[in-house]
Amino acid sequence: MDFFIQQLMTGLSIGSILLLVALGLAIIYGSMGVINMAHGEFVMLGAYGAWAMNAYFGLGLLASLAFVFVGVGAFGFAVERGVIRFLYRRPLDTILATWGIGVMLQQAVRLFAGGELRYVEMPSLLSGTVSVFGVIVPGYRVFIFLFVAALFLVTWFLMFRTSFGTRLRAVVQDRQTAMCFGVNADRVYSLTFAYGAGLAGLAGALVAPLKSVSPEMGGAYVVDAFFVVVLGGVQSLFGTVASAALLGQMSGSLAYLANDTIAKALVLLAIIVLIRFRPQGLFATKVRS
Amino acid sequence: MTRPISALRGAGEARLQFALYAAVCLAIFLVPLAVGDDFLLNRYARYLVLGMVAMALSLSWGYAGILNLGQALSFGLGSYCMAMALKLGTVPVHTGSDGLPDFMVWNNVETLPWFWVPFHSTAFAILAGIAVPVLVACVLGWFIFRGRVTGVFVAIITLATLVVANLLIIDRQPYTGGFNGITDLAQLSLFGFTFDAYSKSTYYLVAACLTVSLFACLALTRSKAGLILQAIRDDERRVRFFGYDVAAYKMLALAVSAAVAGLAGMLYTVVMEFASPTFLDVSLSLSIVIWCAVGGRQSLLGAMLGAILIAGMQGALSESEAFLDTWMLVMGAIFVTVVLVLPNGLAGLVSAGAHRLAAMLASRDPRRGETVHLGKPAEDRP
Repeated sequence: MDFFIQQLMTGLSIGSILLLVALGLAIIYGSMGVINMAHGEFVMLGAYGAWAMNAYFGLGLLASLAFVFVGVGAFGFAVERGVIRFLYRRPLDTILATWGIGVMLQQAVRLFAGGELRYVEMPSLLSGTVSVFGVIVPGYRVFIFLFVAALFLVTWFLMFRTSFGTRLRAVVQDRQTAMCFGVNADRVYSLTFAYGAGLAGLAGALVAPLKSVSPEMGGAYVVDAFFVVVLGGVQSLFGTVASAALLGQMSGSLAYLANDTIAKALVLLAIIVLIRFRPQGLFATKVRS
Repeated sequence: MTRPISALRGAGEARLQFALYAAVCLAIFLVPLAVGDDFLLNRYARYLVLGMVAMALSLSWGYAGILNLGQALSFGLGSYCMAMALKLGTVPVHTGSDGLPDFMVWNNVETLPWFWVPFHSTAFAILAGIAVPVLVACVLGWFIFRGRVTGVFVAIITLATLVVANLLIIDRQPYTGGFNGITDLAQLSLFGFTFDAYSKSTYYLVAACLTVSLFACLALTRSKAGLILQAIRDDERRVRFFGYDVAAYKMLALAVSAAVAGLAGMLYTVVMEFASPTFLDVSLSLSIVIWCAVGGRQSLLGAMLGAILIAGMQGALSESEAFLDTWMLVMGAIFVTVVLVLPNGLAGLVSAGAHRLAAMLASRDPRRGETVHLGKPAEDRP
């Protein structure tokens, strides 16, 4: 029994980090149809933000979260204004352009912050362990889990209970009609992109204490996060949660049964087959095309 | 808006295009007369190989609208096929019985695995280097296109397939050399002639293969099948309503592209003298897409020259002191600009110029006023 709970906890932990990274991507891809290949680099920027806040201003990780969110969000806003908005009619080209942006970000960070690995300290308050159902779990993992849950609720509230969310959903459903009703579609898109980027920044800051921070760290996250979004189904926030949980549990248990590499390959194969038969994702909501 | 080069359909313009392609190939063959340095020739041969694989992508992406983010898969498979044969032909230093490759000995493999055995024959390896990528492309194409999966999802599936193959090759170290790849290879010898990687002979081998595949692809794009592929790119549903088997044509494009990429992969092993998992990693695969986009995805020649130009620039810039740290930054900026401003790449720019020139000439000659334009301006569909 203990073994199953242990396995479940590993899966939940992987899943919560996946969801943390995927949430921003899901919002951007789901509502704007933009595949943001620079998402991993936004995550990386967030991690470096947390590091810089600590190195230059002596701020702890928790205190720097707000600054990271606003900073990376503002950067996302600029990217949307400067590049993405010209490409809404060419979705495949957004893959290429955002990849180019990602390459530039990596190199710029390497130039300004150095290519060596950086480390962000875990808040001392959270560095202990907690016992959950008789299983010892690192406190920081529990914190991430709770934080992601809270973040998800905030996002859901923003999407479905505020006037901004209503406007965004209106633009997604029918841009022309929404604009006729006085919705500033360009502005809605810019803010959405900024919010998604800000979430990526938060994700980077939060995973920074778990792994070392390097200019290349984003690549590892973006692919996984992308599969979470595709699996979950575009425009379905709950689908994203479900698929992050599913992928987390799958990676956790496959890694136990086979080795890490084979586990990853098997998960990818499962995703390939899934996309082939259900391109709309597992939990897609019905949308008029 | 720039028109695709394929829209140049007048007989005169077709001849002009043919002459342009021939002139570029001739120039490639003349390079060794000016460059005596074998080291430089080896490097140029490398760029030509990269040009070949970008040209292959242009066939599937620019002409058929299939954004294959896993182009490096065909390339890598070809490269490993050649490396396996050359490894078995090498003079063994650290081997077990029966000339077992050294890395297998290190990994405690006792006998040669069954799928390595046929690679004692170079002819088999060359055949496999083309047949294996084509087979993989056909299976993948059948899987994707029979299900009418399109657009972004094709890009994701091909990318995921590439990652899976890359992971497996790195993981199965005893049979593939794992992370280190296959190194210490013999030189390729065909019909009793040995190709030294640092010599004119290898350069000419690459140039000849490039020329043949370039013209073969050009012939395909000018055939009826090529026209149907372009029609599929522009409006897939309409072509299906006309009764054409869209999936079969897309598979054809993917397979031919894979064959050329496989051939390029084999040549890459000959030129580089090793094979490594980096030949089928995501960053190379995305680089191929970039070369193709910058050169002009809808022009075989443009994509090829784009690859040669950028790979050459990368080689030069990353070596000079001043650009050591910034060339990636420069490349990224160039790339974003090209995607934003020149959706058809440099070739699109040249083509637009040619069209303007042709229009100017036509206004003087009333008989040539009518030009037939096939296809809409490039616009990707979701």
